[in-house]
Amino acid sequence: MSRRPWWRGLGHRALLVIATVYCVFPIYFMLVQSLKTPEEDVFGNPFIVVSPTLENFQELFGREGEVRGFVGSALRRSYPFLDWLVNTLVVFAGSVMATLVASVAAGYALGRLRPPGFQWWRRAIFATYIVPQTILFIPLYQVVSVLELDDNMLALLLIYPTMALPFCVWMLSGYFQQLPREIEDAALIEGASRAGAFFRIVLPMSRPVLVAAGIFTLGIVASDFMIASVFLLTPHNQTITAGLGTFDVALDELAAVAGVNLLAIPVVTISAVFARGFVRGLTASMVEGA
Amino acid sequence: MTAARSAGRSRDIRLAYLLLTPTLLLLLTTLAYPIGWEVWTSLTDLSPLNDRPTAFVGAENYRRLVADPLFWRAAIITVAYATLTCAVKLAVGLGFALLLARPFRGRTLVFLAVFLPWAYPASVSVIGWYWTLSPPIPTAYSVFMGNLKYTVDGLLGSGAWAFTSVTLFNIWRGSSFVGVFLLAGINAIPPELFECALLESKSAWRRFRFVTVPLLKPFLALAVFLSLTTAFADLANVWMLTAGRIVYPVIGTHAYWLAIHGGQFGPASALSLTLVPLLLGVLFLLFRMFDPPEARRT
Repeated sequence: MSRRPWWRGLGHRALLVIATVYCVFPIYFMLVQSLKTPEEDVFGNPFIVVSPTLENFQELFGREGEVRGFVGSALRRSYPFLDWLVNTLVVFAGSVMATLVASVAAGYALGRLRPPGFQWWRRAIFATYIVPQTILFIPLYQVVSVLELDDNMLALLLIYPTMALPFCVWMLSGYFQQLPREIEDAALIEGASRAGAFFRIVLPMSRPVLVAAGIFTLGIVASDFMIASVFLLTPHNQTITAGLGTFDVALDELAAVAGVNLLAIPVVTISAVFARGFVRGLTASMVEGA
Repeated sequence: MTAARSAGRSRDIRLAYLLLTPTLLLLLTTLAYPIGWEVWTSLTDLSPLNDRPTAFVGAENYRRLVADPLFWRAAIITVAYATLTCAVKLAVGLGFALLLARPFRGRTLVFLAVFLPWAYPASVSVIGWYWTLSPPIPTAYSVFMGNLKYTVDGLLGSGAWAFTSVTLFNIWRGSSFVGVFLLAGINAIPPELFECALLESKSAWRRFRFVTVPLLKPFLALAVFLSLTTAFADLANVWMLTAGRIVYPVIGTHAYWLAIHGGQFGPASALSLTLVPLLLGVLFLLFRMFDPPEARRT
């Protein structure tokens, strides 16, 4: 192969820079805002922060029951940010776990046990995606009230998994379908039970795909704003998302942006750690033509 | 022997149904029932404001929609929004994937950067995004953004800037997901095929057109479908966040408005269901690409 001319190398590098800036800039911008003092927010250069401060972050935690601030103190409410943090962790972790368990079970059933018409099951489950859940609120509200989960995090644990399940089941059933049967059969001949073979051999082997399904679910769960703010009303029961939605941004802009970053940092860290695994898992689940 | 095998088979089938139960229960409570309710309600005049008992009105709600020019305007905007965001996300995402497909120094960093917009939780980045593009008055960049807003609104009608900002947000976030997804697709293609293609043709465009695109077709189709679903979710999120400040008529938000503020559950349900046949059609077309019948092995 001939050496590439110098201008192609330059073009490639320029494209890389453009792509990186395009992806990172909005996040950088929010990070910069959250580190600013109110004075700098008003008079400073919007793209940089000269004297970074953590006071916006401190304010989120320091607000409990305390009235402070200089712009009409009566307007400034206190926010139970620690409660929100805990609720968010519970909801996110719970939804990812529930989705993984349900979709591994369904994926194994459809990909390996193959009941009659399994291809249609698979397609039908995937096809449920065509209905945006956000248009189903009123009946969803009925379901939630009948189950007495109104204003309860458990309502989110019921609704969130359904938002990620169709794709996770699709992925996992495709993966189990193309996993060579011999691997499991060998263990069965050795005298292992079906469950034993599954938990000791198949599941550990499927780690990349499980990671992919988990990160996908986390992404879906972390992107919902609507459901969280409709179903969680009392401040102490809210997640960070629902809570930040109630901020009056005209007054609390900087604290709101700080809150945005506080939720984003752990989620992004987890995603970044598993980013390569995410790609590997997506590949593994789709090697055989989707 | 065959008897034992068929007994094992029927045990397998029973186990399969057992394992499907949690998924089906979840889908039943949070999807099937709500859809059924919407379908039924769309055929009635159910409203919390009615004193008289709810009456079955047949296709009346749909008939009235079809006759309403406002509905058609909302429908066109919705379809245009979905098509436009989808096409741009696909193009930009494909660009990312091709850029990242070959090894180079610093690839991990660029890859993480591309992954970031999707990994950054949209529930909150949408808050930051929206308030950055329509900032509160005292910030340093509000004058610039304000001017931009009035220019766009002046050109395209009030509410256009807010709608544009959702479109931009959806493209920014979605192209990241499509990029990572297609990168996974490219990794799934055996490298020998690309090497063969390199011998066959010198033109990079021809290799792309006749080798990369056909091999990626199932992934492209899946990516299109997944990004369509997020296009609607993002729209709803922003609309909710801004308490309906997006005044541009779009089907999902308009239906919500009718139901919550107008109390007209019947017409609202009919309206929100109008998109479903369209999406179903798209899905069927795409199924042919990413789940072709001849590729099925048993």
